[in-house]
Amino acid sequence: MEKISKALHLNLIKDNRYMYLVDGLKNTMVITLFATILGIVLGLVIALVRTTYDNTNGLKNSNVLFRSLIKLANGICQVYITLIRGTPVVIQLMILFFCIFTSRDASGVLIAIIGFGLNSSAYVAEIFRSGLMSIDQGQMEAGRSLGLSYLDTMRFIIVPQAFKVVLPSLCNEFIVLIKETSVAGYVAVQDLTKGGDIIRSRTYDAWTPLLIVAGIYLLLTCIFSAIVKRLEINLRKNERTA
Amino acid sequence: MEKLLEIKNLSKSFGDHLVLDNITTDINKGDVLCLVGPSGGGKSTFLRSLNLLEVPTGGSIFFDGVEITNPKTNIDEVRKKIGMVFQHFNLFPHLTILENMTLSPINVLKLSKSEAEEKAKVLLTRVGLIEKMDTYPNMLSGGQKQRVAIVRSLMMNPEVMLFDEPTSALDPEMVGEVLDVMKELAKEKMTMVVVTHEMGFAREVANRVAFLDQGQFAYENSPDKFFKEPENERLRSFLSKVL
Repeated sequence: MEKISKALHLNLIKDNRYMYLVDGLKNTMVITLFATILGIVLGLVIALVRTTYDNTNGLKNSNVLFRSLIKLANGICQVYITLIRGTPVVIQLMILFFCIFTSRDASGVLIAIIGFGLNSSAYVAEIFRSGLMSIDQGQMEAGRSLGLSYLDTMRFIIVPQAFKVVLPSLCNEFIVLIKETSVAGYVAVQDLTKGGDIIRSRTYDAWTPLLIVAGIYLLLTCIFSAIVKRLEINLRKNERTA
Repeated sequence: MEKLLEIKNLSKSFGDHLVLDNITTDINKGDVLCLVGPSGGGKSTFLRSLNLLEVPTGGSIFFDGVEITNPKTNIDEVRKKIGMVFQHFNLFPHLTILENMTLSPINVLKLSKSEAEEKAKVLLTRVGLIEKMDTYPNMLSGGQKQRVAIVRSLMMNPEVMLFDEPTSALDPEMVGEVLDVMKELAKEKMTMVVVTHEMGFAREVANRVAFLDQGQFAYENSPDKFFKEPENERLRSFLSKVL
């Protein structure tokens, strides 16, 4: 017992070492949150391009310019998804940090947000696409026959319903990202993992900081999983029949 | 008689399968045209071609003199004036009844929210569903859903209403309430094209009944003659099965 409290004191209290974890946690959450938002926005755009291409492919009676534009955009999206999903996120981060944003004052946190956001968008795009495809074709037909444009039908009718379908998967993506950001230390970001690592290098005690860090990640994912469950129950409310 | 829809040599094929075979006909203002026939005869495809939910592979369709089959025509402008009611209602499940009805008027016709809601309430009162305006579609019965779908289309002040088997997905005891709304519409001189299996409705309300078989208007006449003295062998055999 005394040994444990000694270890905790050494790793957390002495020299205010717990601040490494607090700052690290802050960075981890900031990166995860904004990367998720970036991933969702970009992922939705990619999914809409791909779905629109699938919907209009083979339709002879539509604007030729529009069709070639959407074909080009779809091609770009496909290449993008292949590249992002086919390479490790650490490599993507390092390319961003060491090759593209070479300026010294580029913030590591910002680069991590962009890196994880771009990475996440490729996965989110496929989540959204499956959600968009799951909506009954009759919804699009009803919207269009009421005079709504394709984009307005997507915006008011298809996307809101698809969003509900994929919300659990999106939240899951957020939870995955919390853990995935633990490699941010590679590009000089002091996230939660790096914070624990710094403490280890000061105290020469590996067990205590690493277990604490693991515990914090576990706690975070448990909390967010519970929130997701709540959200799902609330969203199902208007699906119940009287 | 003023022509509202002119259909010229309309054809549609899915791959090698010819579904509509060179159909030419006019639909005049105030017409109530009922389309009957065996399944696979092309009824629904013909109806869905009229607002381009199915894109024809041949021929042309004119609405109010505008060629809607021309790729340069803004189809959204045309669809504003063509109401459509589906077999499976296709209400928007994530929106309340009132929101279902006001979405398009607000965004397409640019009505204010209060104008649109006012109008929706009048229509909902007419079909006896005003107390349902704040509920979601899945809390309604099939007959109620279809009545909402009809008034949702009417919100746009369409010049013609297309009905694609509007009562086929309903329990028998709910068919009447939907047909009653459609009869009201016919009385108000709404132009209607109705794909239906309700022969009683066709006989009572339509001024033209057409028999679609093998992708063609195989026979067309006034309802009296259509049902009493059909001069078409295939129609006789069809009627003997369904009447």
